[in-house]
Amino acid sequence: MTRRFTVEPRGLASNQLKLFVPIASVLAALVVSGVFLLVTGENPLAVYAKMVDASFGSPRGVAETLISSTPLILVGVAAAIAFKMQVWNIGGEGQFLIGAVFAAGAAIWLGDGMPAAIALPVVILAGGIGGAFWASVSAVPLVYLGTNEIITTLMLNFIAINFVNFLIFGSNSPWRDPAVSTFPSGRPIPGTARLPEFFQRLDVGVFVAVGLAFIAWYLMGKTRWGFAVRIVGDSPNTALYAGISVPQKILGVFLLSGAYAGFAGGLFVSGPVGALDPRSLILGIGFTGIIVAALARLNIIAVIPVALLMGALNNSGPALQSIGVPTATVTMLQGAILLFAVAGEFFISNRIRRLETVSATTIAEAEAA
Amino acid sequence: MTTSNDGSLAVGLYDVDKAFYGVKANDRVNFELARGEVHALLGENGAGKSTLCSILAGLYRPDAGEMRFEGELVHFKSPKDAFAAGVGMVYQHFRLVSNLTVAENLALGHPDLGIRIDQKELYRSATELGEKYGLPVDPGARIWQLSVGEQQRVEILKLLYRDAKILILDEPTAVLTPQEGQSLFKTMRQLANEGRSVIFVSHKLDEVKQVSDRVTVLRDGKTVGGVATADAEPKDLARMMVGRDLVLPTRETSGELGGAMLDVSDLRVKSDRGLTAVNGVSLAVNAGEVVGIAGVSGNGQRELAQGLVGLRTAITGSVVLDGEDVTKNTVLDRIRKGFAYVPQNRLGMGLSPGLTTEENLALKAFRRPPYSKGRQLVASAFRDEGARQIEQYDIRGVRPGLPIRLLSGGNLQKALLAREVELDPKVLILRSPTRGLDVGATEAVRTLVLSERDKGVAILLISEDLDELMALADRLLVMYEGEIVGEMPTEEASAERLGLLMAGQRDGSDL
Amino acid sequence: MNDSLWTLTAVAAIGLGTPLIFATVGEVITERAGILNLGVQGMMLVGAVSGFWATFNTGSLFLGVLVAVFAGAALSAVHAFTSITLRVNQIVSGLAIAIFGLGLASFLGRAGSDPLVGNPSRAVFEPLFVGGIADWPLVGPLLFGHDVMVYLAVVVAGVSSYYLFHTRMGLSLRAVGEDPASAESAGVNVSFVRYVHVMVGGALAGAGGAYFSLALVPTWQDAPIGQAGWIAIALVILASWRPWRAVFAAYLFGAAVRVQFTLQTLGEPWGNIPSTLLAMLPFVLAIIAMIVLTSGKRARFLGAPAALAIPYFREQR
Repeated sequence: MTRRFTVEPRGLASNQLKLFVPIASVLAALVVSGVFLLVTGENPLAVYAKMVDASFGSPRGVAETLISSTPLILVGVAAAIAFKMQVWNIGGEGQFLIGAVFAAGAAIWLGDGMPAAIALPVVILAGGIGGAFWASVSAVPLVYLGTNEIITTLMLNFIAINFVNFLIFGSNSPWRDPAVSTFPSGRPIPGTARLPEFFQRLDVGVFVAVGLAFIAWYLMGKTRWGFAVRIVGDSPNTALYAGISVPQKILGVFLLSGAYAGFAGGLFVSGPVGALDPRSLILGIGFTGIIVAALARLNIIAVIPVALLMGALNNSGPALQSIGVPTATVTMLQGAILLFAVAGEFFISNRIRRLETVSATTIAEAEAA
Repeated sequence: MTTSNDGSLAVGLYDVDKAFYGVKANDRVNFELARGEVHALLGENGAGKSTLCSILAGLYRPDAGEMRFEGELVHFKSPKDAFAAGVGMVYQHFRLVSNLTVAENLALGHPDLGIRIDQKELYRSATELGEKYGLPVDPGARIWQLSVGEQQRVEILKLLYRDAKILILDEPTAVLTPQEGQSLFKTMRQLANEGRSVIFVSHKLDEVKQVSDRVTVLRDGKTVGGVATADAEPKDLARMMVGRDLVLPTRETSGELGGAMLDVSDLRVKSDRGLTAVNGVSLAVNAGEVVGIAGVSGNGQRELAQGLVGLRTAITGSVVLDGEDVTKNTVLDRIRKGFAYVPQNRLGMGLSPGLTTEENLALKAFRRPPYSKGRQLVASAFRDEGARQIEQYDIRGVRPGLPIRLLSGGNLQKALLAREVELDPKVLILRSPTRGLDVGATEAVRTLVLSERDKGVAILLISEDLDELMALADRLLVMYEGEIVGEMPTEEASAERLGLLMAGQRDGSDL
Repeated sequence: MNDSLWTLTAVAAIGLGTPLIFATVGEVITERAGILNLGVQGMMLVGAVSGFWATFNTGSLFLGVLVAVFAGAALSAVHAFTSITLRVNQIVSGLAIAIFGLGLASFLGRAGSDPLVGNPSRAVFEPLFVGGIADWPLVGPLLFGHDVMVYLAVVVAGVSSYYLFHTRMGLSLRAVGEDPASAESAGVNVSFVRYVHVMVGGALAGAGGAYFSLALVPTWQDAPIGQAGWIAIALVILASWRPWRAVFAAYLFGAAVRVQFTLQTLGEPWGNIPSTLLAMLPFVLAIIAMIVLTSGKRARFLGAPAALAIPYFREQR
């Protein structure tokens, strides 16, 4: 009698399991990072306590956490809607940055003579358009030529990063602050294009982001277009059979995804940053969006709390430095979370059973269950 | 016909059982293969031929029964074991790496080659083998550059390069031109003359008659007989293959027929491989009539159905729906104008596997009220309409949020059919609607189809299941290699006549 | 005088290209097995820090590279596990490796009471030949003016090329990346082949990372490799999945960066191209190559493995 393990596709994963796997991913990541902390002579629990305190222990900490979370909500939504459609847009970083370039450009172009009621929507919208434009560089070849979007979106991230650096460090572009010549930085955008702050440094962008997330949820879940898109994402053949125009839907979702990443760039520029400043913008926010989407299991509403968690992590980095722990602990932790979250998908879609002997009847029973 | 059997037994399978998900594909099958013979395996689709071959080739493990090689009990755990014992198989879907060269495919996974691959030596032996067995092919060519016939030669060479003693060819002629088929038969005879054994899977009687020494007929997973080919009349073989006498179930025949609702003339459609799969088909279906198309799968049925609903473009010919030419219309247009289609691939095409039953029921109608209001979906309509249809069509096992792929086959089919019927179509195209269903679900599906007919829908039933065709169709057409090769009222159909037509024997009919 | 400046430029370009050769050849091998590992940046960084650490503690460059190779392989084994055994999304898993590696490398470089950061390496790769042939005009510095890793990189590319196209394992490797089901039915153990080559890819990325911290930038700092890991992924496409072409792609890129620097020092007008624009070059070229060469049916001429990034479910009943 041979005893072996067998992996079977799981039918309907319970809601508890769907909640448990992401939580377990975070815990497992804490354990793995804890091992590295221990090895280097730190007390992991003390470090984690410090992180919680930095992010939630004071009004200022909470405000900063929410500031960090705001763009993460939008880049998380951007990744979630694309991935759900099997469109592997990993270009959130680039779309975020080009969104920021467009937004800052629009703000500077409008100047300070424009009332905020016009300037703000224009600037944020410009961010979305910038993101969608950057996504289109991958989306159009994908839809019309079949060019793999994974590589093109990835490459476009680095083109965007270097382009932003070029605008500020490599040229006398309108985005560069002409007042400072020794250490180049971004030109501050007019005050009328800045989102009003209402609590510490926290601006109203957080509400805009949550609102936009709900709009995405509504679009995907409650409209005819969203329904057609879900069919395409689930089974392209079925969509063709049902008379749905598949290329058009893929293009639409790709551009929408880019626009959301671009909105994040727009909100970040008109919110806390106030300029096209590479040092404040090139932080890997678009990449973090992928972590957010994966941990939220591509659920648009779940993106919001997960973005809060990631924002808190990002925000706790500098505080670690004060107790002599590297800021990079946060990055390491985030990478581990993503790793466990993606591995956890295996346990949501499969179950492992121990079988005494494998026979067709047991397989049949398993299938029927 | 040469018979160079030395008679000694090469392989014997005794009382072999193999079930998939509770359905017996092989049911106490017995099969003996002698050295030096070409042995034909004959049977309808789903008779268990491929399963039997896959067991021999080590791909599947039998649930019960024994397999003996030259008298010795063997257990193959993988194709590797079967290779080692000298058994190789050419599958219907070739297992060649298309971006590698012919020579590289021969060498791939070969157990006896050294670390370094000697291209020259490889080319030489490939050419030599090819010449010896009448399988000429350029060893340096990449697989994707070759025709299907050439690729098949590579598959056979791959087995010979490993010196296989038993070669299993699963429906090899299905992809060949008649000339290529003749050349393959020569090779098969030559292999048998050398003392190798060839298992030839087919459903074409003339080929079986021409090339084989013996025939084993399978039906419903059981062996129904083994005979020397020389002693077998095609008529007898056809009857053995189809089996039972076809009974015409008592049923209400169609009432008064309306005019031609679907009128197809000279339709030509290409397959995925770019070959002409539907070759000048003309047919008409009247309102209130069920027209059945019989045929062994792979004779252009899929392409015909997809050509009618707009999933494939017609090269020539026209499709006229209720007097209106729709040949150039899109899929969506045709749905709107009254086409409904139940494809064979339920989960891969007919249904969206990850969505719920309610959502799948709205898969085509979601663009209209009550499912949507303007651009917005109406959640209550999904719920209420879903509940009504689930109740009315007796779709069981539905739970809130449950993806439809987790329903049983019968319930999947009921849902699929319900959705198409609810479109109030003018023409309903069905592909094997009761395939794989249990008795209860089969009955439900048949009742629904007949009630649609009585409502005046024109129904085109494309099926490989003769029982199903006899039970539902008013008129039968037979499709063979992309053409309609016979037509008869259902009452005049017999197992023998249909079997001969399906196997490409036109002379058996009185056309 | 100009001659020797240009010679120096060429020598430096070869040096800059060397880590890219290791990483690109590694990724070529990985992708040839049908596994996309976007974690090259992470594996290179972990190689860089662990190699630096080992050399810092032992003074041995050999041990440094050895440790880097094992560290890169270990990190890639995680990716192999998720993508081959668990069959989850390779894209997300690869990005996770990249992010985790970035964090881990920076963390290890700064953690502890006596961190590595800011310390110079105890040993640095030096040119293999001093005097003699290395002093021959032009040919000397160009061919004989390098350290051992430069030659090793070329050897690795050559051996990989031979392995890929002339050996039995190489044939299995290519088949597994093209059509795992056919390879399996021909008797190839798909999972084994994939595991081995993903880890070889990780090992080479680790070696490439170590070359940064032990030769090019031999003082530890956070992320001493720039965007090299991402550039390597771009170079795989420009090299059309062939190890030899990776050598040329890497040197060309090294030259593009280095020539710019030289022109600047000469005060030539071409020297005004900002380095930020130049840094885009490999990524722009990779996108153009992707669009022009890999779209639709042309992909097979380029050599992109057909089964790349597609999880393989073994046919088993």
